[in-house]
Amino acid sequence: MVYEEPITDYDYKVENCTCAFCGCNCDDLVYLVKGGEVKGEIKDGVVVSGYVDGGHVIGVRHACRLGASKVMEDMDQRLLVPMIRDEKGNLVEVDWETALDKAAELIANSVRPVFYGWSETSIETMHYGLELGELVGAVLDNQATICHGPSLQGVQNAGYPVMTLGEVKNRADMIVYTGNNAMNSHPRHLGRYSVFPRGYFRKRGRFDRTIVTMDPRYTDTAKMSDIWVGFEQNGDYEFYNAMRAVLRGKKLEKDVISGIPKEDIEELVEAMKKAQFGALFFGLGLTHTLSKQRNIDIAINLVQDLNKFSKWNLIPMRGHFNVNGFNIFMAMEQGFPYGVDFARGYPRYMNGETNTIDLLTREEPDVFLVIAADPGAHFPSGANRHLANIPVIQIDIHWGPSTELADIVLPGSFIAVEAAGTSYRMDGVPIYMKKAISRPETTRDDEWIVNELLKRVQKIKGIKPTVAGK
Amino acid sequence: MKIVTFNQKEISQIGLEFDELIPDKIYQWEKKDFEKYEVPIGNSRFPLRDYFDVDVEGSAEFPADVKIIINGDLTRVKYIGSAMSAGEIVANSSVDLHCGSEMSGGEITVNGDAESYAGREMTGGLLTIKGNTREFCGASYIGDWRGMTGGTIMIHGSAGKQLGECLTGGEIYVRGDCDILAGIHMTKGYIQIDGDVTRWPGGQMQGGSIVINGKLSRLLEGFIDFEIVTNPEVSGKQLKGKYIKYTGDIARNGKGNLYLDADKNRNFL
Repeated sequence: MVYEEPITDYDYKVENCTCAFCGCNCDDLVYLVKGGEVKGEIKDGVVVSGYVDGGHVIGVRHACRLGASKVMEDMDQRLLVPMIRDEKGNLVEVDWETALDKAAELIANSVRPVFYGWSETSIETMHYGLELGELVGAVLDNQATICHGPSLQGVQNAGYPVMTLGEVKNRADMIVYTGNNAMNSHPRHLGRYSVFPRGYFRKRGRFDRTIVTMDPRYTDTAKMSDIWVGFEQNGDYEFYNAMRAVLRGKKLEKDVISGIPKEDIEELVEAMKKAQFGALFFGLGLTHTLSKQRNIDIAINLVQDLNKFSKWNLIPMRGHFNVNGFNIFMAMEQGFPYGVDFARGYPRYMNGETNTIDLLTREEPDVFLVIAADPGAHFPSGANRHLANIPVIQIDIHWGPSTELADIVLPGSFIAVEAAGTSYRMDGVPIYMKKAISRPETTRDDEWIVNELLKRVQKIKGIKPTVAGK
Repeated sequence: MKIVTFNQKEISQIGLEFDELIPDKIYQWEKKDFEKYEVPIGNSRFPLRDYFDVDVEGSAEFPADVKIIINGDLTRVKYIGSAMSAGEIVANSSVDLHCGSEMSGGEITVNGDAESYAGREMTGGLLTIKGNTREFCGASYIGDWRGMTGGTIMIHGSAGKQLGECLTGGEIYVRGDCDILAGIHMTKGYIQIDGDVTRWPGGQMQGGSIVINGKLSRLLEGFIDFEIVTNPEVSGKQLKGKYIKYTGDIARNGKGNLYLDADKNRNFL
């Protein structure tokens, strides 16, 4: 690793900013801003209120490398102007009116529109998106469809023994990571919430906690754990089933279950029973193996069983900073967390039918709006093949594989840096993310863009414009 | 007796939803009613006549007097026979999602494969699938603990994952093979699989019976105590031969029964 000199040539500090990378939503970041003019109050070089107009974030303090790399400016990749793909297949710059009118026309005239993404934008933007989706009978879906969707189904099946990350920090003496590698995917999770911090009842931090990693791979998280349970791939369900049987006082018959000796399972269950406060964090390694949502279902049931002996809870390790927000927002507004289909005028939710990947591989959508997501990079080829054949409207801040598929590009703003907004942390705690600097002049806020689309579609359909949520 | 025949003219890439075209709703319809009818496709409705020619023969006083025959490629026709309570539907093709879901009576025959969720939350009637079916056949709606509560599903081919998930009653017969977690969370009812099963039938089951006449690859640890039974009677059915009878899933204090053909599953003895 190359040593990097600390950044000292900044003009202002903006404190208590929130990271817009993963579901940890670390809200203790300090942005180091160079240039610009403070629109608000400043005290000893620290922006107390308001934001820096025309400033640039040249450094970030307290963030992990993942968070810092996202927050730091990368203007060379930035989408700055609205664009429409011309007849030759090139994206050409147009004015905002032209781009918005064209996008609204496509949405208003579509039969099977899909609005996908939302996990890296604010709840306020989703509000307008939901009103637009209801108006045109669209499917609204987010990244949960390719990540924690099975977790949401598992929660619907078995309930949700809930806790906050603050409780984990202050109380947990046993931490279990299963099917995820937090050291790499959520680096500050261990340092800020679970393993290392000193809590009210865990004064010695790491030394007061037992860390267990259940994962087929010997990951970086497994390396720093006290116990690694390397069960076989796709063996999750069988392994949890055996743990539940042991919890009920049954003697295991087989010597080895899912690659783990039965004595080890019995020992682990005994340790979990003796914990004062246990926290189980699960990731995509659990949601996307053979039994999918049934892995989560049985993990939740295991936690419920453990509560007969001790205090245990669990939290899914959500990826994008507001992926949980979309699910909470949709569940609150419509009763379903993702993949909500308004085609028949009322919300419907059916996995395998109203999810983006299924719809795209069935080649059903005729217009695709992607906001704050990159299906071009993450979707299977069959789904992307259909995206290449239909009009795609992209609202995003960066040029990516989805831009290559897009027919209309509407450049948005960076939530938690250039625009304020609400997000939900992985444990369901809402956090207001403040604005630190102004956005590039030619871009617009996501909230404004989606509201403009809504107003234009309402006009095309002859509906009196309303303001969502007011 | 009224016979309504749908002959396909055009295939839609976006699925047609046929939940309104069941005997309960159309038993008094004449040809002109079908010509006026607009079928839901995506967020709109389009004239049914653009996709199907409909012939009507005879008359019906009750839904039970109606037989619907659907000809063509129905792989983009969803909800066939959904929520029907009487009458008969014959689909002469493979069908799309939700065929026979929530049906409470009558009979559906699919002369082909059926996509996922066939017979979901069924409470009565007979659903026969001559080909294969995919995931969640006879299952519950997401989050519900009650799946199929009555009726019969006959699958002549193979079945996908989580067959009879949360089964609370009724019977499911599979002539072919079956994928993982058949009868997961089931509390009552009967599942019989004549072919091979991949993994973990009866996961977290609390009651009901699963009979596997083929070979099982992996059994959950929640099925430990067993006995050998000969020619057992299970849910009123007389089975022939030797079976390994498990009770489980003990991980959930379940009292369900899992019968494995003893000759084909000697490795579990």
